[in-house]
Amino acid sequence: MLNKSMWYTILTIACVGFIVLSIGFYQAIVVTTAVNPQPAAKTEVLQVTPALTKLPSKNANSFKVLILGDSVAKGTGDEKNKGFSGYLQENLKNSTPKDIVVDNAGVDGLESIGLLEQLQSRKLDRTISDSDFILVSIGGNDIRSILTMNDLAKEDQFKVRMDSYLANLKLTMKTIRTTNPKSIVIFLGLYNPYETASSVEDTRLLNTWNYNTQLLVEQDGKAIFIPTHDLLKFNLARYISKDGLHPNSAGYQAISNRISQSVEAIITGS
Amino acid sequence: MPQPAVLELTNLKKTIKGKEIVKGVNLTLYPSQIFGFLGPNGAGKTTTIRMIVGLIKPTEGSVTICGYSIAHDFVKALSNIGCIIESPDMYKYLTGMGNLLQFAAMDKTISQQRIKDVVEMVGLQHRVNDKVSTFSLGMRQRLGIAQAILSKPKLLILDEPTNGLDPAGITEFRNLIRKLAYEEGMAVFVSSHLLLEIQQMCDSVSIIKQGSVIKTANVQDILHDDRIEWQLDNPEKAIALLREHWAIEAVQLKKNTISSDIGQHPLDKINECFIKEGLALTYCSTKQNTLEDLFLDLTEGDEIV
Amino acid sequence: MKLFSLIENEVIKMISKKRLMFVLAILIVLISVFAYGQNQSQARTKAQLSQRMGISATDDWRKLADQQLIDMKNRLDSPYSDETHKASTRVRMEQLQYNLDQNINPLEQSAAKFTTTFMEQAIFLFLPLLIIMLSADMVSGEYSSGTIKLLVVRNVPRWKILLSKYLTLVVLEVVVVFSAFVLAAVISGFFFGFGGWLAPVATGFKVVAGKLDTTGVLNVPQWQYSLMVYSLGFFVAFVVGSISFMISVLVKSTAASIGIIMSTLVAGNFISFFLTDWKITRYMFMVNLRLTDYLSGSFQPIEGMNMLFSVTVLLGWAIASVIISFVYFTKQDIMV
Repeated sequence: MLNKSMWYTILTIACVGFIVLSIGFYQAIVVTTAVNPQPAAKTEVLQVTPALTKLPSKNANSFKVLILGDSVAKGTGDEKNKGFSGYLQENLKNSTPKDIVVDNAGVDGLESIGLLEQLQSRKLDRTISDSDFILVSIGGNDIRSILTMNDLAKEDQFKVRMDSYLANLKLTMKTIRTTNPKSIVIFLGLYNPYETASSVEDTRLLNTWNYNTQLLVEQDGKAIFIPTHDLLKFNLARYISKDGLHPNSAGYQAISNRISQSVEAIITGS
Repeated sequence: MPQPAVLELTNLKKTIKGKEIVKGVNLTLYPSQIFGFLGPNGAGKTTTIRMIVGLIKPTEGSVTICGYSIAHDFVKALSNIGCIIESPDMYKYLTGMGNLLQFAAMDKTISQQRIKDVVEMVGLQHRVNDKVSTFSLGMRQRLGIAQAILSKPKLLILDEPTNGLDPAGITEFRNLIRKLAYEEGMAVFVSSHLLLEIQQMCDSVSIIKQGSVIKTANVQDILHDDRIEWQLDNPEKAIALLREHWAIEAVQLKKNTISSDIGQHPLDKINECFIKEGLALTYCSTKQNTLEDLFLDLTEGDEIV
Repeated sequence: MKLFSLIENEVIKMISKKRLMFVLAILIVLISVFAYGQNQSQARTKAQLSQRMGISATDDWRKLADQQLIDMKNRLDSPYSDETHKASTRVRMEQLQYNLDQNINPLEQSAAKFTTTFMEQAIFLFLPLLIIMLSADMVSGEYSSGTIKLLVVRNVPRWKILLSKYLTLVVLEVVVVFSAFVLAAVISGFFFGFGGWLAPVATGFKVVAGKLDTTGVLNVPQWQYSLMVYSLGFFVAFVVGSISFMISVLVKSTAASIGIIMSTLVAGNFISFFLTDWKITRYMFMVNLRLTDYLSGSFQPIEGMNMLFSVTVLLGWAIASVIISFVYFTKQDIMV
């Protein structure tokens, strides 16, 4: 009878399925349950670093710059592989007899929360307290994903993301200041690599972001906000690298010039 | 009777929501007995029946079927029961046969042959493979009976079993029950409002009123109580005459009617006496006692409590 | 043994009621609609993306992937990157490498991805709905049609009868989950191609001290991940089925029992907002249904709520439901 064969089919599926699904269930639980807290791998606080950076020690003869932040801080996109580390050193060297020593702790893809965690891990404390200038480039990765959303989600997500970012930024500034009350903090504003494809709305959001960043950063008397948006707006072809996102050599140079113009007076004074 | 009792109700009581519905029923049923259970609405009939089949648990007392107590040996006790409670509700989306197969699957003693036999017994052989949703009321009743007797139970419990059957069907049913009782030794417990039916089908009856059994009697005994009814102008005089001359007690029914059981006394002589004494006799007849009379008598002035 | 025949009885009844067919039909329709819709929106996204980026992003994904791989490698080597992120970085690198090796554009949809995502989306509302359609009138239906009288007045103890119904429900739950898997894989295969089963998927997210812990992150092949997702789906089906079964036993009307359980499920959406503040809400079954989120790491980490917790809470609900059902059913007077 038709019913009988259906019954046997159902029974077979049920038995086999039950066994298979039980196995899967067990696996799913194992995979998501912390069995033993993994012993945190202890890494040396400061290891041997690539040639460009040097281990600074408090030396009256050197002027120390620390670069923090994302891939832009790191110098990604520069076909000459110099980035801020290279161009800033070149620019500043004329303003002081001292050696310019640059430390680069930039990390690709870093977001504001990542930077904060990096600082809170205390690994950079020594470097920070030794530095005279601290250059920070962060936020690009926080904001980037919002700009590709559809308009309905954008406004809400933007507010949420920006609030979160500003909170992180506040703590970051506080941490830096606690570790080093005297250094000058230079904060880079965000530019828009997608300028040509951006709407008026996107530009407004970017400006809002930069503006709020500036408000926050300059609450600190020894900090300065350096915009980059206006510099690159009509110069994308000239200053953006092949990956369409990062500055190229000319771009890094241009931004570095702007930075050094703003702060060289401080160095000559020191 | 030498045979063991098929059904024994001992001091069966049930209280629902503070109200005592069944107030201590005692009953014994033997094989081959067809037993009628009567009572006005709300008397506790259905509640008692439900306790017999295990749908409801008694507050006090016990139900024993073929020696097995429902409370302690549910499975063994129920193996001996077949029943229809109010309308037999079948699975409408299955066929008649599909329904019977469901019940057969629950009881290993029921063979395919038995199912076939039962279907023939109730006269459904032509329609049993149709969906029950297409059955008429009569057909559903027959299917209900079929399901009840599938396992050859020793005790058959029927609540309003002839509901929906046409007169031919009712007669068929009566014959079937008689056959099951006398040839196969089933004890049958029937509850019905059709007093005539009960009278024709049952050997003995119990009448329950407000939770207690008020009378139990053999049907034959009730029916043999023949009464005579007279319609005259002076009932009191007639009653006095009957008492004086023949020591017969009569009762006055309506305005000018009296009734009495005259036993062996000659009716013609009594009538002669009435007329000689100047009574205007307008009507005289034998009234065969019916169950209805007894029933109404006993449950007279009853309100549903 | 007799229980086996009883289960067969119940399955036959369910088939004759055409209920199972109906559920499978709904699955087919919904999956087809989803797959078609995704196909459409994917085409649209591709167009949008190339317009925005000024390059045909779909073809240049390889360049981007290469670049990302290099960046990640640098990140791993850098002394300043956080140890906790290394595991997730490695995992991401494996995935990118796989895509490059197999020449799979990561934006492309595949049957495997669709199958997995379908259950991830369905697990907390749609799947329970299907199960409720099967379970809601298993017992209450017998009351409303009066067939309970004939079912129970048999030489079978009441608990066995109820058990046969419950086990039938479990059997059907397996069938439904299995069918969902097969139907999703087959139907989406027509739209997106039948592949993708070996692609690596990241899992191994854990909740430690109320935060997302990614130190144990690893890749598993898509088929294994899908299996885990569907197993969690079955578990949820089992729990929701048990609760709905209990309600069917307690409330003898099918309509009322469906109403009750559906409204609790929907209420779960709102109650999930209070999870952090109002501790007792965590023990409600409906907020713990999104088990697959623990697998994929896409959840709001809340102190104390992890896979083990949710599974335990759900299991507790299931066991309690079963106990209550059996005790109530065997003890109660049937007045129908």
